[in-house]
Amino acid sequence: MKVFLRLGLTLLGFCVVATALLAYVNYVTEPLIEQQKKTAAEQTMSKLIPGAVFEPITIHTGKDSLVYYIAKDEKTGDIKGYTFTAAKPGYSSIVKTMAAIDTNFKIINIQVIEQSETPGLGANCTKPEFSAKFPDLSPDDLILAKDGGKFVGITGATITTRAVTNSLREAIKLIQKDVESRTTTSSKEAKK
Amino acid sequence: MNTLSQILVLAISAIFIQNFVLSRFLGLCPYLGVSTKMESAFGMGMAVIFVMTMASAFCSLIYKYLLVPYNITYLSTLAFILTIAALVQFVEMFILKNSPSLYKALGVYLPLITTNCAVLGVAILNITPLPDGSTYNFLFATLNGFFSGVGFTFVLLVMAAIRERLALVDLPKSMRGFAHGMILAGTMALAFSGFIGLKI
Amino acid sequence: MSFMKELTKGIVKENPTFVIVLGMCPTLATTTSVNNAIGMGLAATFVLVCSNIMISLIRKITPDKIRIPVYVIVIAAFVSIVDMVMAAYLPDLHKALGLFIPLIVVNCIIMGRAEAFASKNGVMDSMADGIGMGLGFTLALILVSSFREILGNGTWAGMKVMPDIYNPMLMAVLPAGAFITLGLLMAAINNLKEKYL
Repeated sequence: MKVFLRLGLTLLGFCVVATALLAYVNYVTEPLIEQQKKTAAEQTMSKLIPGAVFEPITIHTGKDSLVYYIAKDEKTGDIKGYTFTAAKPGYSSIVKTMAAIDTNFKIINIQVIEQSETPGLGANCTKPEFSAKFPDLSPDDLILAKDGGKFVGITGATITTRAVTNSLREAIKLIQKDVESRTTTSSKEAKK
Repeated sequence: MNTLSQILVLAISAIFIQNFVLSRFLGLCPYLGVSTKMESAFGMGMAVIFVMTMASAFCSLIYKYLLVPYNITYLSTLAFILTIAALVQFVEMFILKNSPSLYKALGVYLPLITTNCAVLGVAILNITPLPDGSTYNFLFATLNGFFSGVGFTFVLLVMAAIRERLALVDLPKSMRGFAHGMILAGTMALAFSGFIGLKI
Repeated sequence: MSFMKELTKGIVKENPTFVIVLGMCPTLATTTSVNNAIGMGLAATFVLVCSNIMISLIRKITPDKIRIPVYVIVIAAFVSIVDMVMAAYLPDLHKALGLFIPLIVVNCIIMGRAEAFASKNGVMDSMADGIGMGLGFTLALILVSSFREILGNGTWAGMKVMPDIYNPMLMAVLPAGAFITLGLLMAAINNLKEKYL
């Protein structure tokens, strides 16, 4: 019995030392990890709309909610546009795209931020050649040629392209509705 | 979607689409090491299903009721591997005492399972947030462990069947053993990649 | 002198991947690009060296009966440290390697070296053994990933090496390509061994 107790206590001793060490490392790295996550999102946003500050707004539609950001000019405070993240399932993963639209709800630029599609086919959606197809499109242009629209996506990766275009189109329409309802209420208030 | 169809989706994706061996590269050591004979492959497969299910259940409980409430999720790797090691040890003792015939069939494979990365892999995957930000609940974590084990056993048995038939093939000397096993696995992975993108 | 001997044996003569055939999972999963392979190799090397030193230090005070659980604790602690530090300073690499960082715990190379070498030898020798084995593992990963990245993507460590006319062979970066590349490489190495050793 005594032997078991001694073995158990030794094992416990090792566990305590290991846990203490990990707690210390966690204490040091945790704020850094949080910071990394934040700056990664902010960097993408300010790459899409440079020189702006971002103000989050949440839309509730039934069960789901969508967060988008109003991009205001750093100096003048004018609204430059909106940024948001949209996601839909692609071929083998969920494709997450961050996009910026201007005040006429036309796309300024997009960036696919998360995907694990087939390398060499669907995964090409992270390349600049793909993002370059999007600027100046309005939500109604975001329909694939195969679905009766005129958008030509990546060859051999229709499903990935469709995930991006559909998720963007739906998100833009939601934001457009929300922004318009806000402006009409605020203009009504202004009239009063 | 109701729970039953969700479970069916989970099963198909764990067995075919996200197969542990052929698409996630987990548990390759036993896959190549214990697949020369059908009989031992079957024993190993059963032991893996059993341990993976148990490990998923226990680790999911530990994570939810111990690690998250005390905000010590950074200890999860340490906690999970110790849980699995202890679990395997207990299972071994339990089977030895209660069912010697089962021990004879599975016993040899149990100690090997502690270092099978598929077991730790499924425990960690169960707590990894899904694309929509949620994680599996207890029931789904356990089922995920079970079905992933089934997927592992399935490809292990297929591999063993192929290797048994090819045992006497006259291969060039340098191709024998692991090299040949790898090529076979590659061919199987090619077939399984057809499941990717299956819409369910 | 033995320091150098322990250091070099892991690289060629007892290469953990190609000769002892251990640690297959990360070898296949993280070799889609050379950069990932280097990251994985160095992370595993760090854990291997640290755990070898630690286990060698405590080998006299570890009761024989509970040595395996103690090794597991030591290894898991170092792996968690690598996991956190990588998430803090190299987030992109951390994301690419994903699940396979915590899985270094069950990498047979590390446990195997702890049991077969560090628990019986002095600190300096164990460190040399860890560095050698780690480098051998890293080099093997780089070799496999070089083939896969050049064939499958036409690049090496992100640099374009194939002419524009080359149409990348996608299969090489898919799971199937991993198995087949490694199988052919092993056969080639077996062949070389037969001829020259």
